[in-house]
Amino acid sequence: MDPILVGAVAYTPNVVTIWEGIRDYFADTDSEMDFVLFSNYGRQVDSLIDGTVDLAWNTNLAWVRTVAQTDGACKAVATRDTDTVFQTMFVCRTGAGMTDLTSLRARRLALGSKDSAQAAILPVQFLAEAGIGGDDVELLRINSDVGKHGDTGRSELDALRAVLDDRADAAAIGINTWEAIGRDQLMPGAFEVFWESPTYSHCNFTALESMPDERIQPWVDHLLAMDWENPAHRPILEMEGLRQWVLPRLEGYQSLFDAVAAQGITARW
Amino acid sequence: MVNHALVLDLVERVGAVATGATFTVGWGADDPEVASETVAAWCERTGNQLVEVGDSFAVLRRGRAADPLLDLDPDQLPGTRLWMYTNFDCNLACDYCCVRSSPQTERRALGLDRVRQLAAEAVQAGVSELILTGGEPFLLPDLDEVVAACTSQLPTTLLTNGMLFTGHRLERLRRMDRQRLTLQISVDSATPEIHDSHRGKRSWKRAVDGIRIAHEEGFRVKVAATLPAEQLHEVEPFHVFLDTLGVAREDQVIRALAHRGVSETGIELTMESLIPEVTITADGVYWHPIAADHEDQLVSRELFPLKNAIDEVRARFVEHRQRANAAAAWFPCA
Repeated sequence: MDPILVGAVAYTPNVVTIWEGIRDYFADTDSEMDFVLFSNYGRQVDSLIDGTVDLAWNTNLAWVRTVAQTDGACKAVATRDTDTVFQTMFVCRTGAGMTDLTSLRARRLALGSKDSAQAAILPVQFLAEAGIGGDDVELLRINSDVGKHGDTGRSELDALRAVLDDRADAAAIGINTWEAIGRDQLMPGAFEVFWESPTYSHCNFTALESMPDERIQPWVDHLLAMDWENPAHRPILEMEGLRQWVLPRLEGYQSLFDAVAAQGITARW
Repeated sequence: MVNHALVLDLVERVGAVATGATFTVGWGADDPEVASETVAAWCERTGNQLVEVGDSFAVLRRGRAADPLLDLDPDQLPGTRLWMYTNFDCNLACDYCCVRSSPQTERRALGLDRVRQLAAEAVQAGVSELILTGGEPFLLPDLDEVVAACTSQLPTTLLTNGMLFTGHRLERLRRMDRQRLTLQISVDSATPEIHDSHRGKRSWKRAVDGIRIAHEEGFRVKVAATLPAEQLHEVEPFHVFLDTLGVAREDQVIRALAHRGVSETGIELTMESLIPEVTITADGVYWHPIAADHEDQLVSRELFPLKNAIDEVRARFVEHRQRANAAAAWFPCA
């Protein structure tokens, strides 16, 4: 049987190391795999739909767009534990006196790349749900890494720089970026979180509905068996930012479906 | 004050390199102490490695470098064996001696008290074998006590030219623990010519006689030959000769001539190119027995605590290997 072909987006050189490690983990099993790297999620979703790849390691926006383009004829088969509890953090300068999203009225909010769910699309949705419309807050959009759905984190770092440089009063970033900068502990007096979003779901492995379960299930079972306590598995899990592969939490994508609909984000690029 | 943009730069730069690769961040005219503390704290928190700190920059590695010690065969782990130079004077003046020993060389004996302490500390430090060498150890009047201090703690190998097993020195040999001591006798060739050309007239016959005496006295005997690198592929006749002396094949050691000491030729051996064998002399701790008379491989003047010496050797080995690996990564096509 041919290896299962997995697509992933090359947002950092480390992606090569990660996927070679995952491929090695599947070697000599009943579900061997190989991988293809894409430069952006648009190309990857196209390749999933046209059958070039069997699975796509998709962001939440890529998942939503795959659902839209296939009329729902696709399935999310696995995800990271960290993807089931993703959050957006709204941060401001320490002592700026912001207490919740309404504090942003008449202030400037820096957003990440326009295709970043965590740093652009969902923050606008959260603002809308809090009753803050486009006229109530000045949005500074920083489209540093369009196509990669915010994976590089660069646009979020640029949003934070905008706050430091007083070009914005606050920034919306993913919790992974907040962790990467050491939360508020490495830069005392720099940033504080004034609002945390509810948890939502982020990346998942996406397959077309037509992919037979008997082909995909052994691969999923072996993926879920990757063990944090196994020294041979640990480096891959650490690099990919999880402790355990798990089944997706589909209800965690609803907020993004709502945001995409409300903001009129198209199904294609 | 912490430069907040520095942490943002760190996050951005680390994302642009693969695990194991290094990168540099600068902080301009900021306070170097504060900046380096910030970088160190970020590394600690994020699992990356601070490689080097300068006045206005730091070099970091994404993730942590692989531990070079894990790449070694367990038998090669520095500190598995402990070499001790009992003395440097010798009854021979071999023309390739790596530590310049001869009858005119000052003794520089390690001494019974220090050997006893080293042997005891070696057990605590995880050493599994002691190796005594010189100079010629059998010149020491208290060699039997020195050997006993070692064999009472760990299996021990005693290197000798095997030429002095007569009179009171033979009596000292007979007092040594045959169950815990192996004698390693130097013989360079199957016939006298080559051996004697390096070590002196009639030295081959006396060494071969020494092997026979040691066997008669019930000792296990290893034989070590020092050969120019170009002759290492012509050793089968030599092995056949040692077979006739009753030396087991696993006890027949062939080693390449090193360009050290009084040798004018031989392979070049540096700390960077040698897996260390922790070596103690009266003068200090050395990287390897081949360079126990050379300042370039002096690790420390402090012999005690022995564990600190072993730790220092291991740390330097890790540093050398990581630097070499980094250089290989930087110049893949050069």
